[in-house]
Amino acid sequence: MAGWFALPREWISSFGEIAKFSGKILGQVYSLRVLHFFGETLRQCGVLILGSTLVIWGLVFIVGLQCGIEGAYFTRAQGAPAYAGVFAAWCDLREIVPYGFGYMMSAKVGTGIVAELGSMRISDEIDALEVMGIDSVLFLCATRLLAAWLVLPFMYMAAVGAGFFASYLAVVQQIGEVSSGGFSLIFWMFQNPPDLLYSVIKGMVMATAIVLVGCYYGYHAGGGPVGVGTATAKSMVMNIVLVHLIGMLGTQVFWGANPRAPIGG
Amino acid sequence: MSETPRDPYADRYDDAEPGDGLRDEPTTPVAATPDDERLRADDSPASARAAVVREAPPAAADDDEYQWHTGLNRPTGVADAVEFIDVHKAFGRNKILRGLNMGLPEGKISMILGPSGTGKSVCIKHMVGLLYPDEGDVLVHGESVPNMTDDELFDMRKRFGVLFQDGALFGSMNLIDNVAFPLRQHTDKSEDEILDIVRRRLDEVGLGSAHDKMPNELSGGMRKRAGFARALVLDPNIVLFDEPDSGLDPVRTALLCELIQEIHEENGGCYTVITHDIMSARRVAEFISVLWKGRIVESGPAEELFNSENAFVRQFLSGESQGPLGME
Ligand SMILES: Nc1ncnc2c1ncn2[C@@H]1O[C@H](COP(=O)(O)OP(=O)(O)OP(=O)(O)O)[C@@H](O)[C@H]1O
Ligand SMILES: [Mg+2]
Repeated sequence: MAGWFALPREWISSFGEIAKFSGKILGQVYSLRVLHFFGETLRQCGVLILGSTLVIWGLVFIVGLQCGIEGAYFTRAQGAPAYAGVFAAWCDLREIVPYGFGYMMSAKVGTGIVAELGSMRISDEIDALEVMGIDSVLFLCATRLLAAWLVLPFMYMAAVGAGFFASYLAVVQQIGEVSSGGFSLIFWMFQNPPDLLYSVIKGMVMATAIVLVGCYYGYHAGGGPVGVGTATAKSMVMNIVLVHLIGMLGTQVFWGANPRAPIGG
Repeated sequence: MSETPRDPYADRYDDAEPGDGLRDEPTTPVAATPDDERLRADDSPASARAAVVREAPPAAADDDEYQWHTGLNRPTGVADAVEFIDVHKAFGRNKILRGLNMGLPEGKISMILGPSGTGKSVCIKHMVGLLYPDEGDVLVHGESVPNMTDDELFDMRKRFGVLFQDGALFGSMNLIDNVAFPLRQHTDKSEDEILDIVRRRLDEVGLGSAHDKMPNELSGGMRKRAGFARALVLDPNIVLFDEPDSGLDPVRTALLCELIQEIHEENGGCYTVITHDIMSARRVAEFISVLWKGRIVESGPAEELFNSENAFVRQFLSGESQGPLGME
C-alpha cells in the first residue's frame, strides 16, 4: 500500500524542486543577467532553429491536414459543408497547433536538453564550468530559456500558418466542396487577432515549461548514463502531462467563458 | 596550523616536553599494539616536539581502524594555502571523510596519495566549493569556503585551476575552444592573443596537431593532457590536478611531471597533485599527505615521508602487497 502513495509523494516533492529551480532560472532571465552570455544564447537560438523548426512545422502540417479532412466531412454530414473553415479556424489555432507544438517540443527540445545537460553533469563538465567561476545555471539553463523565448514565438506563428495551409489544402483542394473564397470567409469570421495572441501564449507557456523541466532533469541527473536515460524518460512524462494541463487551462481561460463565435447572434 | 590538544593520541608523544600543548589535557589511553611501541621508540624527541598533531580521532570505538593514523604533520615552515579542519562528509550512509585535518602549503607542489576510493577526488571538490562538508571547515587563504556567498565563491574559483579526473572537456567544443574558454570568459584579450596562448599551451602538452579535434575523437590520455592545458591557461594561483598521469604512457608521464615542475617554477602558487604513481610522487612532490579512510595517515615534506617509519606509509609508498592495507 505504501508503494502506491510513494509515487505521488515523489511527484509532489519533485514538483516543488522544479518550481524552485525554475524560479531561479526565470529570475536570471528576467534580471537580464543572462545577457552576460548573449553569445551562448544566440548559439542556442541557432540550435533551436536548425534542429527543431522543420520537424515541428511538419508535424503541425500533418495534423492540420487531418483536421481539415475531418472538418470537411463532419460539416458535410451536418449539411453545412461551407462551414468547414470553422474547423481550420478553431481546431487548428486553438488546439491542434498548440498540442502538436507541445508534443514535438517535449520530444525534441525537452529530451534534448535533458540528454545534453545530463551527460555534461555526469562527465563533470558542469562542475568544470563552476570551477572556472561561471554560474552554470545561468550559462546552461537561462540561455536556453531566453533562446526559446527569442525564437519560438516566430516559429510558433509560422507553425500556425502551416496548420492553416494544410487545412486549406485538405478542405479546398482535396475534398473541394468549398471554394477558396467561401473557405476564407468562414475561416476569418471565426477568429480574430486576440485568438492568435492567446494561441501564442498557450504555446509559449508550454515551451517555457518544457525547457524548464528539461533543464531541471538534465542539470540534476545523476547515477551515470543510466541515470541520464531515466531522467530523460521522467522529463518526457512530466512534459506530456504539463502540455495537456496547460492546453486545458488555456482553453478554459481564453475561450471557456466566451467562445468568441458568431453563432446565434 | 591548528593544534588540537584534546588528541587522545597525544600519549604517543610521551617523550615530548611538557607544555608543548600535547599533554596539557587528560587523554584517553590507547591500547598499545606492537607497532605503537615501535612508533614510539622510533620517534626521536626532536621530531616529536616539532610535530603538530592535527588529528582528533573519536575515542575508543575505532581505535583499531585508525591505529596507523598518527595524523603526524611534519612542519614545512610555510603557511597553508588550503586547510581542512576536522571535515566530515558522508554520502547517505557512506562516510567518506571522517575528521580530515589537512593543510596544503603555499608555494609548493603537494601530493595527496591514498588508496583508490578513499575520497581524494571528494577532497578536491570541497576545496572549490562543489561539495560542502557536513561538519568542519575548509579554508582557502584563510577564508572559509562553505560560508562564502555565491559571488564570493565564483570570485575565489577564478584563482583556481582544476583538472578533473576524467578531463571534463566540454563535449560540444573542439580542443582550441575548450582551452580558450576560460580566457574568453575571464579576460579581455583579443582573439589573436587568445589563440596564441592556446596553441602554445597545447603544444606544451603535445597536442599541437590535434587542436581542431572534438573531445570524443581523442584518447583518454589526450583528453587528460588537454584538461591539463585548460586548467593552467589562466595561470591560476592554486592548481588541483586529479590524477594527471593516469592513462599516460611512462614517457609522457615523466614529461608531464617535468612540465608541472617547470610551470610551477614559473608561476609559483600552491599546486596539488593527486596520483597513484609513486614514481611521479618521487619526481615532483615537495609535500605529501597520505589519506586513508577519510583521514590523514601522515603528512610532511616528501623526503621525510619517504623515510617514514609508519608501516602504512611505508607500504603505500613502496607499493608492497604485505602490510596494513589489503584488498578489503
Ligand atoms: N556524488 C557522490 N555520491 C555518492 N557517493 C560518492 C559521490 N562522489 C564520491 N562518492 C563516493 O566517495 C568515495 C570516494 O570517491 P573518490 O572519487 O573521492 O575516490 P578517490 O580517492 O578519488 O579514488 P580514485 O583514486 O579511484 O580516484 C567513493 O566510495 C565513492 O563511492
Ligand atoms: Mg579520484
